[in-house]
Amino acid sequence: MNLAVKDIRYHFFKFLTSTIGVGLLLMVMLTIGGIIRGIILDSSTITETTGADLWVVQKAWLGPFVEISRFPEDYYHAIQSMHGVAEASPLVMAWDHVERAMRPTQLMKFMYMNTLIGTRTMVEPGWIDMPHDSRFIVIGYEPGHIGGPPTIIAGRGIEASHYEIVADVKTGLQVGERIRLGDFDYTVVGLTRNMVGYTADPVIYASLDDAQNILFEADPDLLRNIRRRTQQQVLGAAALDPRIGGPLAQQASQIAENVSLVNAIAVKVAPGVPVDEVAQEITRWKHLEVYTAAREVNMQLMGSNRLILLQLSLFRLILLVIAGVVIGLITYTFTLDKLKEIAVLKLLGTQTRRIYAMILQQAVLMGLLGTLLGAALEFASEPYFPRRVVATRGDVVQMLIVISVIAFLASIMAIRRATKVDPRSVLGT
Amino acid sequence: MEYAIEATDLAKSYGEGHTRVEALKGISMAVRPGELFAIMGASGSGKTTLLMILGLVTEPTEGRVLLEGENIYNGKRFDLQRLRREKVGFIFQFANLIPFLTAKENVLLSLELIGIFGRQADSRAMELLEYLEVADRAGNLPEQLSGGERQRVAIARALANNPAIILADEPTAALDTERGLSVMRLLRKVSKDQGTAILVVTHDTRMISEVDGVIRLMDGRMVEHGDSKRQPQSQNGR
Repeated sequence: MNLAVKDIRYHFFKFLTSTIGVGLLLMVMLTIGGIIRGIILDSSTITETTGADLWVVQKAWLGPFVEISRFPEDYYHAIQSMHGVAEASPLVMAWDHVERAMRPTQLMKFMYMNTLIGTRTMVEPGWIDMPHDSRFIVIGYEPGHIGGPPTIIAGRGIEASHYEIVADVKTGLQVGERIRLGDFDYTVVGLTRNMVGYTADPVIYASLDDAQNILFEADPDLLRNIRRRTQQQVLGAAALDPRIGGPLAQQASQIAENVSLVNAIAVKVAPGVPVDEVAQEITRWKHLEVYTAAREVNMQLMGSNRLILLQLSLFRLILLVIAGVVIGLITYTFTLDKLKEIAVLKLLGTQTRRIYAMILQQAVLMGLLGTLLGAALEFASEPYFPRRVVATRGDVVQMLIVISVIAFLASIMAIRRATKVDPRSVLGT
Repeated sequence: MEYAIEATDLAKSYGEGHTRVEALKGISMAVRPGELFAIMGASGSGKTTLLMILGLVTEPTEGRVLLEGENIYNGKRFDLQRLRREKVGFIFQFANLIPFLTAKENVLLSLELIGIFGRQADSRAMELLEYLEVADRAGNLPEQLSGGERQRVAIARALANNPAIILADEPTAALDTERGLSVMRLLRKVSKDQGTAILVVTHDTRMISEVDGVIRLMDGRMVEHGDSKRQPQSQNGR
């Protein structure tokens, strides 16, 4: 006969409400773990899905994600021909935005309101209105090469050489929808899921040429200005023969307008070739910076992202301590409620370990059931979070183990109290 | 083995020096199997202390206790907890059944404690509940039973381990006269049928009619033993 189970059956409502309380607390802990994983996934998704072993960027820049990196597109031909390189793919990637009215859900509105509690004076009065700008990351790649959308969940990939894009569902775009980017209209031909950057901004894929136009094409008035100034500078720099100076000035202005730039070259190393060897080769001969895929992910987890992760970890640790204290106090209260029964059990000769096991089993059972409840609630609530939250079964198993240990430690106080119960106390009363 | 329990020159004191309190002094008594004795006395006379010593809960400062001929407090480290669950049954004033166990489970618990499980335990529990005429309440929790029914279940629990002695601490105090007498008659029946020695602590003189003898205490001393012939010879020559 399991005394813990019998006692729980008798005090079912009390146990249930306590377990729900613990479960909600553990749900928050699992959610924080899910947010941490979400941030890391957001920071690694593009790098991971590209499948590149190395990222080549402008010398001395931490590009292409956390700092600007620009260099001529044709570098990639040289890299492609290097020993040990299986594939080199020029990539353009940068943040862009469009003016686009969003349709906020009631939950989002509520979250905005909630955010304003105590911070209203710190933001513009109109901040409550949802922003009308949608921000996203444009990634330009050469179709057929690495760097494109890994999986299309609706529609198709980019087939035409121009004016087609594949967007992540988080942009809110639909297949067939047209959107103006830069100076041209683009048609959404396919959708991806979970393709976001480390800032959680969704990705829009375009062909390399289109992305260069979207991201690097200057305003026409500015271009005219640049062209005129460049030609004047070239012509004024030296008293050239007009037959030479004219074409030279024109060529100089074309160079100034050149948008054939890339932000990075993704490199896949040939099987059997050490990645470090290829990286050193590129660094030495091409005067570029080369990072491994893992280093790229680390860079995206620098700065504010890292501080957010540390902040969340600390918060999770505090919650773990709180969970331990809560379970401990509940178990202690449960024990206080049955001191007389414990005295009777002791007087009847019940083995001490059986009494302690009853207390311990209740604490552990509450922790385990609370974890399962918390996990169920966490999984159910994940889609409603504005940013990716990814808790896994592994997290739940880990939590089950941790909470068992915590419950064990938390029940020590109650067990110590039970130890002090004198069986004589039931005699003469 | 003539006596189920036999105590000689029992003394129990608490504290040291000026604060020393002598709760029991020179108590010698004996009860045979199948006998029902009452322990009586005013508050503070030492009834509960004597019960605790006989129930293997508190060690005496001096003296000897033989339980079924076995010297319990002889300086050796006896496992009193084990002896208690195997040889002693307890009945309390308010029954003190475990509230989260049904009547039957309360009896089963005592059987489990002595290593009887499964069908054997089940049939023994039901047998006891039937014997005490509460079998129809086997599945009820203590809170669903009347005071009298609770005491019957408590008696069944006390009998479960087939003890050498049952110690009842004011089992009728919470009951009216009629129900109290009914419980005493039941204890009388149990002691005869099961051959168990029963010691009942009581204030209620109306209950004396059902007992074989009375052990009366005053200020920690025994002033009356139901049958002086049975009183074991004091080692101090008293």
